Amino acid sequence: MRDTFSTLHPIIIFTYFIGVIAVSIITMHPILLILSLACSAVYSVYLNRLKTLKFFLFLLPVFLFITLINPLFNHTGNTILLYISGNPITLEALVYGLFSAVALLSVILWFSCYNVVMTTEKFIFLFERIIPSLSLIFSMILRLVPKYNQQIKIIGNAQKGIGRDPSRGSLSARIKNGLAILSILVTWSLENAISTSDSMRARGYGTGKRTSFARFRFDARDALILGAMLLLFATIIAGALGGLYTVNYFPVIKIDLVSPLSFLVYAAHTLLFLLPMLINIQEELKWRRLKSKI
Amino acid sequence: MAALEIKNLTFCYPTREIPALKDVSLSIDSGEFVVICGKSGSGKSTLLRHMKTVLTPHGKRSGNIFLDGRPLESYDLGAQAEIIGFVLQDPDSQIVTDKVWHELAFGLESLGTPPDAMRLRVAEMASFFGIENWFYRDVVELSGGQKQLLNLAAAMTVQPDILILDEPTAQLDPIAGQEFIDILGKINRELGTTVILSEHRLDQVFAICHRAIVMDTGRIVADDTPHKVGALMREGRNDMFFAMPAPVQIYAKVKNTLPCPLTIREGRLWLSRLLEDRQPIDRQPPQQKKDNHQDAREQMTVISMKNVWFRYEKGAPDVIKDLSLDIKEGELFCILGGNGTGKTTALSLMSRINKPYRGKILLYGKQLMKYSASELFDGLLGMLPQNPQALFVKNSVRLDLSEMLNEKIPKKEKEERIAKVAALTEIEDLLDAHPYDLSGGEQQRAALAKLLLQNPKILLLDEPTKGLDSFYKIKLADILKRLAAEGVTVVLVSHDIEFCARHATRCGLLFDGHIIAKSPPAEFFTGNSFYTTAANRMARHIFPEAVTNEDVIKLCNILITREKG
Repeated sequence: MRDTFSTLHPIIIFTYFIGVIAVSIITMHPILLILSLACSAVYSVYLNRLKTLKFFLFLLPVFLFITLINPLFNHTGNTILLYISGNPITLEALVYGLFSAVALLSVILWFSCYNVVMTTEKFIFLFERIIPSLSLIFSMILRLVPKYNQQIKIIGNAQKGIGRDPSRGSLSARIKNGLAILSILVTWSLENAISTSDSMRARGYGTGKRTSFARFRFDARDALILGAMLLLFATIIAGALGGLYTVNYFPVIKIDLVSPLSFLVYAAHTLLFLLPMLINIQEELKWRRLKSKI
Repeated sequence: MAALEIKNLTFCYPTREIPALKDVSLSIDSGEFVVICGKSGSGKSTLLRHMKTVLTPHGKRSGNIFLDGRPLESYDLGAQAEIIGFVLQDPDSQIVTDKVWHELAFGLESLGTPPDAMRLRVAEMASFFGIENWFYRDVVELSGGQKQLLNLAAAMTVQPDILILDEPTAQLDPIAGQEFIDILGKINRELGTTVILSEHRLDQVFAICHRAIVMDTGRIVADDTPHKVGALMREGRNDMFFAMPAPVQIYAKVKNTLPCPLTIREGRLWLSRLLEDRQPIDRQPPQQKKDNHQDAREQMTVISMKNVWFRYEKGAPDVIKDLSLDIKEGELFCILGGNGTGKTTALSLMSRINKPYRGKILLYGKQLMKYSASELFDGLLGMLPQNPQALFVKNSVRLDLSEMLNEKIPKKEKEERIAKVAALTEIEDLLDAHPYDLSGGEQQRAALAKLLLQNPKILLLDEPTKGLDSFYKIKLADILKRLAAEGVTVVLVSHDIEFCARHATRCGLLFDGHIIAKSPPAEFFTGNSFYTTAANRMARHIFPEAVTNEDVIKLCNILITREKG
């Protein structure tokens, strides 16, 4: 499935993920956390399909572990459920553990989405403005690794062709043949580096300040979405400053779940968490409409 | 005004006594397409590198170089990078970044081009070179030809006035090489860029260049239009003669007063005009060569492949499909074929680098798998890889050779054996050099010497003529023939039709994983109309069975003299 959110400008993608992850970490408000978990799960399944479902199987024990470990060590709270070797297990600690697990899981899922959407290329694009040579260094490393791999194969085969097989014979012979391959690789790479540096200098490397090729453009759609996103963030921050997220787990659980203003904040959260999916749905509808017109 | 002018340039590398360039004067006009030819070590690269300050080698120098009338050194490096584009020989090591788009943008990024202008330039070049389809690809996925095209496009994005290329097609197969030269012609014609190119394969370049410069031991020995240079070759005995296009070589050896032909088309017309009123020669099949073939049948079979199948991975497609092949003792068997048809893989099966999953391979009647490693590689079989550099371990050729011999052999005997192979491969003068300092042809021979130390009865060679100039090819062929005379069986895979036609005892065409046709070169090539030698394509309407230049020359001369007598 195509993810339209991925086609937005990297700065939007990056801000979005920083935002949602921050929101999920800072608050312990149960409804917001559940919203975050649900939406991140939906988006992650949308992006990774079966892989996420398999991932859930791995996450489930983690979830249970975190939920249960908290009441074992944290004994504050008024409602005692039972005693384990003389220590009280309280309802408050259990609930707190549960929502800590929800928070952690949602962060993990958001990161799994981030990994798919925010490719290294986009990340480098954002940060090369701060460290200009970063992108080049990274790109050169990515070029060298497969090149060395190929060359090792070529050298290995050449050595096999004269009967110097590093995978056969006595241990000492194998070590000797393996070292020979390494030594050839080093000589080759030095030769190669001279040629690469010639090529770089011939194309004006080091003659002045570098600029970088802008693969991504910030267009009107990006501006619109960034605006909407910032508005949602503002609402959420206003809500936080207004004390709407204040929750107390200890000594007794005390949460304001329902108030006229809190619904506004819930709505803002839902919209924010579902933003990538909403964009995808809108795109899908648009295509359906276009198709039906034809 | 001359775009680039060189006056009395003499240059000597630091540790050498003989100068690499001697009193070279040269003037290249804006918009010209100039090809510089000459055998390896004649100073072509050194001369080209002087045309760009950052690439100029260190050493003693006298003389001046002017760009648009101003000394080249007075331009700052950024300006030079913008005016002069440079493409080197090795397609792989020139590429700096991992993505095609990034490589295209590299030059512009270095020069600090603003993003919007950069976008436009990159887009422009990508479409001019037809790169749009692989614009976002990883560089590793590209073929050699595509890589070199990318290097060219990357040099062109800064819109240089002058484009300099140092043997850009040496590492490419003939088809990719041809495409590359075509693109250069297009750049010169449609953008007006001055192109200065050094090249070994002149067949195609001669047809499109404006000027040809021949260099020999650091001097310019000829500098004229390709037609005149071609005609000039007739008089002087020059090593460069064998690098000339086939029509030029044939023209030079046949008595006539017509103008010199350069292309196959011109060659055909020339031949028709030359022999216009002569009687056609009796069309008889070349008897003599048939006899050789007969001889080969009686000899012992050395390599026998029976219904061999191979693929690299279980799920991968078959590379070798039902390949059957018998090679006799003392043969020089050439396996020809396009890119990716499995030529190298076929060799890797014979040398046990890879194992077939079905079928049998016999060496001297014994199963290949049943030989022990020492039986196989100590005196039976040796394989020369495509890149001989992958064999060199030591810092000098002599050390590298003695490393190949068993430590138990006494020093004296070692020296004798090394001296013997060095004489055979003609590398006596190179024994103390570092293997990486040798030219391509010298490396090839040093690597061959290394193999020969084990006295192999079977030699497998992978593209031995790749990147070699015509002079070294002749040397290589001589060595191989000497070995064949001693009973060594040689199997080589190659793209080089001319080489195989001239020197092979039999040729085989590998296509779709198996050998389609195998016969002596005369038979093999006369049947093909496209996949055949230049001489054959040029003369087939008159001498259908002539395959090599020598065949055509002989037949021409017979016809001419017979008429007289």
